[in-house]
Amino acid sequence: MWAIITLVVAAGLQGNLPKFVSIWEGKPDLILVVLVSYALAAEPAFGAGLGFIAGLLHGSLVGLSLGSFIITRTITGFLAGLVNTRLFSENPIVPALSAVWLTVVCELLFLIGNPRPDLLMAGRKVAGECICNAIFTLIAYFAIRHLDTHRKIKLANARL
Amino acid sequence: MLLVLVALGVGLGAAHDRSRDDGRPFPVFEVTSLILRPSTSAFHLTAAVTGAARHSARPRRSILKENAELRKEVARLRAQNAALYEAAQENVRLRAALDLRKSTDFEMVAAEVISRNQSSWFDTAVINRGRRSGIRKGWAVITSGKWLIGQILDADEFSARMVALTDSNSAVGAMVQRSRCNGMLQGQGGDYLTLSYLPKDADVKIGDTIISSGMGQVVPKGLIIGRVVKVVHNKVLGSTTALVRPSIRFDQIEQVFVAKPGQSVTP
Repeated sequence: MWAIITLVVAAGLQGNLPKFVSIWEGKPDLILVVLVSYALAAEPAFGAGLGFIAGLLHGSLVGLSLGSFIITRTITGFLAGLVNTRLFSENPIVPALSAVWLTVVCELLFLIGNPRPDLLMAGRKVAGECICNAIFTLIAYFAIRHLDTHRKIKLANARL
Repeated sequence: MLLVLVALGVGLGAAHDRSRDDGRPFPVFEVTSLILRPSTSAFHLTAAVTGAARHSARPRRSILKENAELRKEVARLRAQNAALYEAAQENVRLRAALDLRKSTDFEMVAAEVISRNQSSWFDTAVINRGRRSGIRKGWAVITSGKWLIGQILDADEFSARMVALTDSNSAVGAMVQRSRCNGMLQGQGGDYLTLSYLPKDADVKIGDTIISSGMGQVVPKGLIIGRVVKVVHNKVLGSTTALVRPSIRFDQIEQVFVAKPGQSVTP
């Protein structure tokens, strides 16, 4: 439930990001950042489900290519869930690097369905988005983990 | 699980495309718009308040300088206005003499952009007026100066999604204001637009103003779009293409007007 609420908040923020928050015309994808941050510490099935909702919300905001948004985010969430079970460690590099390769996979899948005339510009945008997403994922991942741990401790204390 | 969700995504995407083509509202968007609206509006309000506070908190010297510049601008515009008023009066007299149809006032719905550029790949935005205000798919989105900036993609009860002219999904009929050469203006997903399907010997020059042609009776005729920055003559295909820079940057738009179809700036 908290993951969905965070996604809704990220979707609201996504459309009101200041103009200067971009690198090489690539803006951070906050919905993808939240998806990756939650899915990294969860099972692939949870990641896929959350990815489906993320894609639905993002597609609704944009109003175009709804199917592409849902499919790419679902696959990305699933892949992020696999990282948890096979590669994950409590190292800050892992979420940042995961955000980079997951953004590349997500956007490449998206570009297959929605080809761009200018490939050079598309590549520059993806590179910029990767850097932005890596920075934001680093912040979001540890904030979410911290809040999650805090909530679990409170719950355990209440039980005691 | 993954395959089921992907299949569901394909189904939803196809259903959305079909309802968009038919001009019907997509029920899933009605629900998601309701869910997203509070969050979007809250961040829009915060951004607006922060922007206003930053704008007002400026050094006195900068405000005085801007004030002096604005006074000069007002004086210049007053003189220009007087000249234009004379021209308008003359226009009225000549129209009466020639028995031409009178220019009607534009029927428009004022709206505010509450969310924009949600993705790196699309130039779209959400405005705070929807079907309740009478807005429908395909209507033209313009600024206060009657500059065309985009079209309505779809509308739900209280909000509508618009696509900018610069988006690669956008195409409108346009013409060169000076020579009246007609073509199709398409977005490229960047800062420029392409005016294509012009005849081989089209009279188009760098600096020409491009306006909407009103073809199809959806986008009103005569709305200013931008200026030609490059002209390419393709001898093999026997066609001419012009690169157009829009008059207004899409990311600077805050207030817009949605114009009803079938109107004209220059009847």
